[in-house]
Amino acid sequence: MIKKIYLIGNPNVGKSVVFSRLTGVQVISSNYPGTTIELCRGHLSLGSEKIEVVDLPGTYSLEPTSKAEEAVVLLLKEYPKDQIAVINVLDSTNLERNLLLTLQLIEEGYPVIVCLNMCDDASHRGVHIDFEKLEKLLNVPVIPTCAVTGSGIKLLIERIRQARPTLRDKHIGEARWGEIGKIVEQVQRLEHRHHTLREALEDASVRPLTGLIMAAGVIYASFKIVRFVGELIINRITDPVFMNLYQPLLEKLTLSWQGKGFWFHLLIGNLINGKIDFKQSLGMLTTAPYIEFGMVLPYVVSFYFILSLLEDIGYLPRLAILLDNLLHRLGLHGYAIIPVLLGFGCNVPGILSTRVLESKRERFIAATIISIGVPCVPLQAMIFGLLGAYGGFYVGGVYLVLFFLILVLGVILNRTLKGFSPEFLLEIPPYRLPPLHILGQKLYFRIKGFLLEAVPVVLIGVAAINILIYFSYFNIVTGIFAPLVHGLFGLPKEAIAALVIGFLRKDVAVGMLMPLGLSVKQLFIAATLLAISFPCVATFIVLWKELGLKDLIKSTLIMIGISIVVGTALNLVILH
Amino acid sequence: MKKISLTLIKANRKGKVVEILGGTNLQDKLMNMGVYKGKEVTKLSHVGLRGPVVIKAGRSILALGHGVAAKVIVETE
Repeated sequence: MIKKIYLIGNPNVGKSVVFSRLTGVQVISSNYPGTTIELCRGHLSLGSEKIEVVDLPGTYSLEPTSKAEEAVVLLLKEYPKDQIAVINVLDSTNLERNLLLTLQLIEEGYPVIVCLNMCDDASHRGVHIDFEKLEKLLNVPVIPTCAVTGSGIKLLIERIRQARPTLRDKHIGEARWGEIGKIVEQVQRLEHRHHTLREALEDASVRPLTGLIMAAGVIYASFKIVRFVGELIINRITDPVFMNLYQPLLEKLTLSWQGKGFWFHLLIGNLINGKIDFKQSLGMLTTAPYIEFGMVLPYVVSFYFILSLLEDIGYLPRLAILLDNLLHRLGLHGYAIIPVLLGFGCNVPGILSTRVLESKRERFIAATIISIGVPCVPLQAMIFGLLGAYGGFYVGGVYLVLFFLILVLGVILNRTLKGFSPEFLLEIPPYRLPPLHILGQKLYFRIKGFLLEAVPVVLIGVAAINILIYFSYFNIVTGIFAPLVHGLFGLPKEAIAALVIGFLRKDVAVGMLMPLGLSVKQLFIAATLLAISFPCVATFIVLWKELGLKDLIKSTLIMIGISIVVGTALNLVILH
Repeated sequence: MKKISLTLIKANRKGKVVEILGGTNLQDKLMNMGVYKGKEVTKLSHVGLRGPVVIKAGRSILALGHGVAAKVIVETE
């Protein structure tokens, strides 16, 4: 009687894709180790029964060497061995390394079924595995699969009940590798191939000179494509819809509205020259949807398209190698680039994925750097929208200030915090070309997540602003902060409302700056301050969860200090 | 035959691991990833002066931080 099914395997063998295939539950998968940071649970119907399937984070061994691996071993012991089935997912392109865990599972007496994943990729690379022979040698079922296309999954489900414990002599250390070597020799045939273009690229990207050239090219191209696709969506789709369809409709419905009182103010906002202006009206039906769908969403789509592509190809770990040196100076190691890049999309998943870093110290540094120096896509989109009109100089300036800030902050934290940064030890995955439907699913999943998260908060935010302005409550807040904001940062007191709203959502906050008629210098300072100062409330909660209250307070104090220093410095340095 | 750390051999050279200095945790970690005494590895590259070392062990490509690589002693011909 099987009560639970566990998916276990080395990092980056495609467990999450197998999991999605088995349960129909959509989870994010990528081509780098450590994508799954939380346990995923789903259900599989086996005959008339519904059995829970648990996707465990990747582990190399049942003899844990880190906390994450310990957690996996503990979970496996949750139920008696005769009530579970363990699906051991293997990467066929690297059978030898994967078999260590398989042998350990068998030796420990778990009922195992082996899922030989990525079979298609293996044969492309000239790796042929005699799975029937492997089944005989291991004495547990072995099923070749290709989870991204779904082939072999049906057979895997049919044979889950055949997962069985089997007796096997226990070996340890080098002797076990010796035994694995013998198995591999009998079941694996390597076809001799000439170096393919893919392998040449894999090689070039980890060598210093060619690697740096490639990295510069990839980053430049990514940036260009994100902008190009984002602008394309805005010019061809969202702007025409807003201007030609939505605006006339809205105006027809509302302009005859007599006595423009509270509700008009709340829903439509201020009329500019007797017309609705999506950028300046500040109503729940005007500016709120325009900010989210007309200014931010296009860039969310283009950013996640490029990020997902780079993730699935397997480029990011290579970037991590090249940046290891630099990040070491900030008390991190190369792999911290992954949370940072995710943070550029949205700080929340970025901070969550700092779990791939081992020590508390590293996680504190990475989370603080992300929440202060890494602007999320909605914020970046708005900065482009706002400052872009004045030329690339100012937009680039914001990034430059943030980059400089990350470096200085990292170096200072690294020098002052106790402890040291652990060393980097990472497996570099081969390049893989993701099938379009997998890429599409992931993009859909992320965009849906963005909309569910953002739209309600934006509506609430805009409503709150309007209520506060309508009843003049903001005057109380502005009264308190006006000397600071005006005196130090050179911003008008109207900008205070925007900085306060920044705590709710950054994109709405920048949106609120639009009707104020600020000078370029003021816009630049306000945008930079919004990026640095308080992270939005969602990020704040995640910081609290991940760091604990004490470190949250520490991180927040650093943030306030830096905001004041940077705001004042910019105000003094920039002349006009 | 000489014994030398992974940071000191040249790129594209092969070597057989003869010793891993440092704590058992590091030895276990490397062992689990397929780098152990007697294993032949190829150094692929070395990024910068004190940067990570990339090696090939079996069919795996591994990136080792400089400090880790310095602890892996190999024998070359």
